[in-house]
Amino acid sequence: MKRLTSVIATGLALGLSFGAQAGTLEDVQKRGSVSCGVSTGLAGFSQKDENGTWSGLDVDVCRSVAAAVLGDASKVQYKPLTAKERFTALQSGEIDILSRNTTWTHTRDTSLGLNFAGVNYYDGQGFMVSKDLGVSSALDLDGAAVCIQAGTTTELNLADYFRANGITYNAITFDTSDQTRAGFESGRCDVLTSDQSQLYALRIGLKDPSSAMVLPEVISKEPLGPVVRQGDDQWFNIVKWSVYAMVEAEFMGINSANADQAKSQGNPGQQRLMGVDTDSGEKMGISNDWAYNIVKQVGNYGESFERNVGQGSPLKISRGLNAQWNKGGIMYSSPVR
Amino acid sequence: MSEKPQVKSSPSFFNNPRNRSIIYQLLLLFGLGYFFYSIISNTLANMEARGIQSGYDFLFNTAGFDILMSLIPYDATNTYGRTFIVGLLNTVLVSIIGIILSTMVGFIMGVAHFSHNLLIRKLATAYVETFRNIPLLLQIFFWYFAVLAALPSARQSMSLGEVIFLNVRGLYFPGLTPEGGASVVYAAIAAAIIGIFVLKRWAKKRQDDTGQQFPVLWVSLGMLFGLPLLALIVMGFPFAWDIPYLKGFNFRGGITVIPELMALALALTVYTGAFIAEAVRAGIQAVPHGQTEAARSIGLKEGKIMKLIIVPQAMRVIVPLLNSEYQSLVKNSTLATAIGYPDLFTVFVGTTLNQTGQAIEIVFMTMAVYFVVNMTISFLMNRLNSSVALTER
Amino acid sequence: MKEFKPLPDQPAPNDTVGPIHWVKDNFFSSAANTIATLLILALLATVIPPLVDWLLISANWSGTTQDACTKDGACWVFVIAWSKQFFYGSYPTEELWRINLCVLMLIGVIASSQLLNKDWRNKFSIPAFLLLPFVCILILDGSWIGLEYVSTDYWGGFALNVLLAAASIIVAFPLSFVWALGRRSEMPFIKSVSILLIEFFRGVPVLALFFMGSVMLPLFFPEGTNVDKLVRVWIVLTLFMAGYMAEVFRGGFQAVPTGQYEAADSLGLSYWQKTLLIILPQVIKVSMPNILATFVMLFKNTTFLLIIGIFEVLSTTQTALTNSNWLGGHSTEGYLFVAIVFWICCYSMSRISASIERKLDTSHKN
Repeated sequence: MKRLTSVIATGLALGLSFGAQAGTLEDVQKRGSVSCGVSTGLAGFSQKDENGTWSGLDVDVCRSVAAAVLGDASKVQYKPLTAKERFTALQSGEIDILSRNTTWTHTRDTSLGLNFAGVNYYDGQGFMVSKDLGVSSALDLDGAAVCIQAGTTTELNLADYFRANGITYNAITFDTSDQTRAGFESGRCDVLTSDQSQLYALRIGLKDPSSAMVLPEVISKEPLGPVVRQGDDQWFNIVKWSVYAMVEAEFMGINSANADQAKSQGNPGQQRLMGVDTDSGEKMGISNDWAYNIVKQVGNYGESFERNVGQGSPLKISRGLNAQWNKGGIMYSSPVR
Repeated sequence: MSEKPQVKSSPSFFNNPRNRSIIYQLLLLFGLGYFFYSIISNTLANMEARGIQSGYDFLFNTAGFDILMSLIPYDATNTYGRTFIVGLLNTVLVSIIGIILSTMVGFIMGVAHFSHNLLIRKLATAYVETFRNIPLLLQIFFWYFAVLAALPSARQSMSLGEVIFLNVRGLYFPGLTPEGGASVVYAAIAAAIIGIFVLKRWAKKRQDDTGQQFPVLWVSLGMLFGLPLLALIVMGFPFAWDIPYLKGFNFRGGITVIPELMALALALTVYTGAFIAEAVRAGIQAVPHGQTEAARSIGLKEGKIMKLIIVPQAMRVIVPLLNSEYQSLVKNSTLATAIGYPDLFTVFVGTTLNQTGQAIEIVFMTMAVYFVVNMTISFLMNRLNSSVALTER
Repeated sequence: MKEFKPLPDQPAPNDTVGPIHWVKDNFFSSAANTIATLLILALLATVIPPLVDWLLISANWSGTTQDACTKDGACWVFVIAWSKQFFYGSYPTEELWRINLCVLMLIGVIASSQLLNKDWRNKFSIPAFLLLPFVCILILDGSWIGLEYVSTDYWGGFALNVLLAAASIIVAFPLSFVWALGRRSEMPFIKSVSILLIEFFRGVPVLALFFMGSVMLPLFFPEGTNVDKLVRVWIVLTLFMAGYMAEVFRGGFQAVPTGQYEAADSLGLSYWQKTLLIILPQVIKVSMPNILATFVMLFKNTTFLLIIGIFEVLSTTQTALTNSNWLGGHSTEGYLFVAIVFWICCYSMSRISASIERKLDTSHKN
């Protein structure tokens, strides 16, 4: 028994580190890297390639914060987390930001001691069916077997929607997206439900992607965004404005290719965003060219979107809700001034 | 502690084993007390700081999600407490199926190791060495995603006489709906079982007294099937068949065995069966060959030698091993979560934990259940063990 | 007087020798056997050719992206492209020599235990084996011995499975021995605490313990402290392993004849001298095969870590399968690869276990 305590003591000695409750910025600067909680593998959002490099829309949030705070987007330590442990990891200080396609809900925002720092993807739960089923609406699915990719809200949304419409169904819950796809492909279920962004990823994973279609119904609102600990407003602001800066840069037409030009000879608004004659960074405790670093190294929101999930990626998701507000979407940044 | 005992005129306080034992135990008590005190106070502080509720009130809240398979009536409007029961029953079901099937497979493969046919021997060895050395999780994936997923779709089901259907959605077979008079049939089954016990006792007593043998097995089987059959005929078959039929996307009616259950049961059977086969082989090998020769020399037939000489002695070795294999099987059934079979782990530690976030209570309840189930198995197997153990001289 | 001349040996009867009769004996000795033989042969004939075709003949071997997989067979390109991840995880490429060094040392220690003579085995192999995991942790981490620090976030792949299993069993060794001693103790409180610990860690599914390490342990530590996830998992695996090994040792203690205890007592040895010098060596000897079997079980169970998001080899495979450049359904190849790797390791361990069993067998039977 004395050994048990000694083992724990050894463990503590090896892995102990104190996560400060306030002053995340100082911790990050001292450590020289941002510790970022991501998903263990979610196509287009956070994925590792065969060289161990992380990429994805959620990963780009981590990278933009690193660029803003440390001036180098590559200074990120990625902590892959499961859905169950993500909030604990943030609360205990193991990570500085949680960017793991987490839906912004009232309960999470108010009762977990956490703050959502914006939205980097507007998602919604949808359905995918096989074309030869001859179904054009989710309302035709009475008696169907439904493959669900286990999430935290997916099962509840599905139960609510089908109950509201008086439809019976069989729910088959899978753990990971690959298993869900395999279940759908084998014919175990007639319809697959998941967040829309994932439906596209699952669809191109099918042996014959054209044999399946995504139904028009979207049964839930899923605003996904980065989360930080409550009680450290400075860090909260940095993360929030890092997300905004990418959106604002796209709105202003600044991208990674013309960032230098925008900095030296852009219009006053562009120059201000790029850190010329402004103390926008100082107010947050970081350097004034924070937004320039983000855009230069990570790109604007549009670039990040197209590269990871849009036309430049195998997923080919259209912008939809995630287009700029003046292009038919709802991506809207507060002005940087 | 390690110094050599020294000769003293009067033993010091510490050299009295009784005093030492009290001091050690007090030290341990204080150590443990401090350990648990700090864990509990840390946990409470952490939970308060993180806004996590504690207590078991969540068990009475509405669950709001559906479960694929349930042995008791369940729908989304039931409580989290009921999801616990549903999951528990599903765990028990797959464990019982797994234990029965793996014992059968294990005994067959263990005995096959002593076959006269080289191919059968090699096959038995290959089976054991292959399935014992591959992680169970991969085997579950194999059965579910490679074997069962290759079955035809619902509309092209394989069928047996249009009453039993097998497709990628599962195995469908007719159910029986009891009507008036069914209770007589149940009573007949119960009577047959009691009758068999009485018969067995009587036959044993008669053999002990007179040496005459009585064909217990055949008479028992006759009773087990004959009595209920008689009751069925007398009552005019008081059951209605509920035959599965294809409607819309799926089969309705009848009894459905979902493929998740089949895959999990198969994987557990094959994996545990390989270990049991090894146990059986070791058990049989542990019986000295002289026993077989002695049995032959007193004129016993080969079948009787196995049944009366070899197996009872092999069981002494086999039963303790079976005990731990059965316990592993129950614990391994938690891997259901990988393919979505709604066992206790998938439903309760999976979905319910995701919805409520009450990790401590849920993990604790689940651990307690597996602990109790395994203690029960251990208790039953120890009873069996003491009945097969030889009286040592 | 006529000298005794033995008659030459009679040849064996004609119907018991020669290949034909061997075949008859082994395959067609009875009607049932003949049917079984034919059935098995038919089964092999239908299964093997398409399997070989898929696995080897029409498989895709060269290329770096999944577009290179044009033929119908297995897409081994997937496994080859990801092989570094599968074996080493995200460990920095220029530091890979550290993992290779550890693997070489492991092979060296195993080889030494097979090749060295008995004296050297006890003096070198056993301490080396006990120290190896800690040396490797120091080398892999790097910060304590002046190498570049590599955070545990980058550890992964099959190397992590091996490391976790080895590091857990070594720490579990003394722990389980103490628990097993406690279980035999005559002090009632110590005895009941030991029994409770052993039965708890044996009676609870390892998956539940992993969940405990992943979502419950962080709550047990003081506020503001965080313990690396790998260390949490290590603690849990060690305790799990200790429960099992304590039972193995209990069997070992029972196998040591009472006379050994009595002889040690009569020599005037203290409790710890008796236990460590007389009993322990004998316990380890009789328990060795079971310890190895337990280790193989633990090693296979490290794949369950996938459920809590540790990048061991199976979890890395699943990550690879969700990468948007490899969404072509390569799960069969990936899982098959992992299965083969595990099979090779576990099978050779069971062989080694058998050979150690033979070597340690100093009893006088036969």
